[in-house]
Order: sequence, then C-alpha cells, then structure tokens
Amino acid sequence: MSKDGESGRYVYCIIKAQEEKISFGNIGFQGKEVYTTKYKEFSPVLSDIIFKKFDVEDEEDVKTHSNVINEVMKEHSVIPVAYGMVFKNKKLVEMSMKYGYKAMKKAMKIVDNRVELGVKVILPKDFDRNEQKLDQCKSEFTERLKQVSFDSKNLILFSERLLMNASFLVEADKVQTFSDEVEQLRSKYDSFKFQYSGPWSPYNFVDIHILSKQKGGFR
Amino acid sequence: MLILDDLLLRALGVSVPGLDFVSTLELLENLAYKELYNPENIKNQIKENQMLYEFGEISKYEFEDTKSRLIEQLKFIERFEEMNLSVRADILT
Repeated sequence: MSKDGESGRYVYCIIKAQEEKISFGNIGFQGKEVYTTKYKEFSPVLSDIIFKKFDVEDEEDVKTHSNVINEVMKEHSVIPVAYGMVFKNKKLVEMSMKYGYKAMKKAMKIVDNRVELGVKVILPKDFDRNEQKLDQCKSEFTERLKQVSFDSKNLILFSERLLMNASFLVEADKVQTFSDEVEQLRSKYDSFKFQYSGPWSPYNFVDIHILSKQKGGFR
Repeated sequence: MLILDDLLLRALGVSVPGLDFVSTLELLENLAYKELYNPENIKNQIKENQMLYEFGEISKYEFEDTKSRLIEQLKFIERFEEMNLSVRADILT
C-alpha cells in the first residue's frame, strides 16, 4: 500500500454499474471527487488522496467514509470495503478487482437490493435477571425478526446489560415491515430499551479479503 | 556458567516444591495481567460507554471522560504489548 505523503486511491465500496464513470461530487477525503471506474460489471467507488494513516479513532474520517457510502447507497446496492483502504495507483485497484471478481459476484448476489439493519436491546439498570425468561425473550426477538429478514448475524454482547445485539439483512422493499415488527416488540417489552439503526451497508454479511497479508485488507 | 532454573529442572523431570509454587504464582500473575490488560475488554467497555450515552443513561461529560480514560488505557496496553514487557528475559544464562 502507500506511504505517508504519496498519492493513492481510497476505495469506499463496490457497486454494480453500466456507466464508465459516475461522479458523486466532491464528498470524499480532502474534499476530493468521489467517482467510479469500471471492471466488468462492477465499479469501485473511490477518490484520489494524499496518503495518510487512517485511524478508527478519527471520528471525522470515519464519518467521511460512512457519509460517502450512505450517499452511494441512495442509488446503488453496495459491497462495503473496510475503512482505510488506500491503493497506490489505479492499476492496483484493477488488480484487486480482478482477483476479487468471483468473491464480489457472490457477495453482490447476497447484498443486491438488501440493506443491513441493527437491533440492540438493553436491560434496565439493576434489572432482576431471570435467565430462563431472558432466554425466552431473546428467542422471541430473534425468531420474529428472522421471519421478516433475509439473513441475520448475532454480534458480540459487549455489555452485561445487552440482551441482544444483532444485524439483519433485509430486502430494501421490506424495511417498513421489519420496522413495524421492531415497533411491536418494543411495545410488548416496554421495560427494555431498544436501539434500532440503519440502513447500513451490509458489513456484517460480506467479508472479502484481497491482496492483503492480514485480515485488515481489502474486504 | 549453568544456572539451574525451574524450566530446566522441569525438563529433567525434577520437581522442586518451592520453585513450583513460585512458578504457579507467576502463572496466576500473568493470567491476572492478561485479564486486566486485555484490549478486547477495554474495547468492549468503549462500546458499552458509547451505548449508554446513546441510550441517554450517562451525560455527555461522563461519556467523554470515560471515553478518553479508556482510550488512554487501550493505547497503554497496545504499547505494552508491542514492547512485550510481560516476557521475562534471563540475562545471566
């Protein structure tokens, strides 16, 4: 990859597009234009950049990365790329597209016309835990939400207060149905706190690693 | 110069109760360190802090305060791991 001060191409995500080039405006890092190039039916969404270290703690940069993806998602299904992926030149981007082509085809089948939605349920402070009852609630949440989604992933329960932390892959035209289901659960279990978020690009359902020694590579 | 240490004795199949006890204490100390300085634990606490703020259970001040403390801890652990300070080097052998 690139060194500090060198120029490179920052890749935000991959979309499917017919056009040779689509411009999303000057919304990229360092105010640069976000545009697409083409590899077969796929188009990496990128911007030119003077290379620097991308730190996950840099909230502004993380925000820029997600803003671009949100903008692209308004019109396209996206295969997300990990935050901080900079390629030295266009040729390396093309090479990674070539090596990742099969995986991208597979991933696009999964994410096309679908979005990721997140649901967290937390228990009230000083909640009197009854593990059996909590397991029942959790099963009910999961089952009901699974019925209105294409796929789901349980994520880390990083706090003892968390009863559920899951991501759901939902058909774009069924988001309202999913939201209604969440609302019904929220009304039924009004002592629990719900956090319903999205739509996100489907990070939890696509995991492609290309041209990287470690898992932090192109994915 | 040959220094007989607990590892060599153990390799020879010799068990010295005093040394074994020290070795067990070191093992326990290492486990305690690993638990205390586990970056995953700190990352989970950072996420929990964010979640409690988003749910309105803590103030912005508490959130920022806890966040900067946890990030400092995480950086310290990462430096600690890079330097490999928990590994003892026998410089006399």
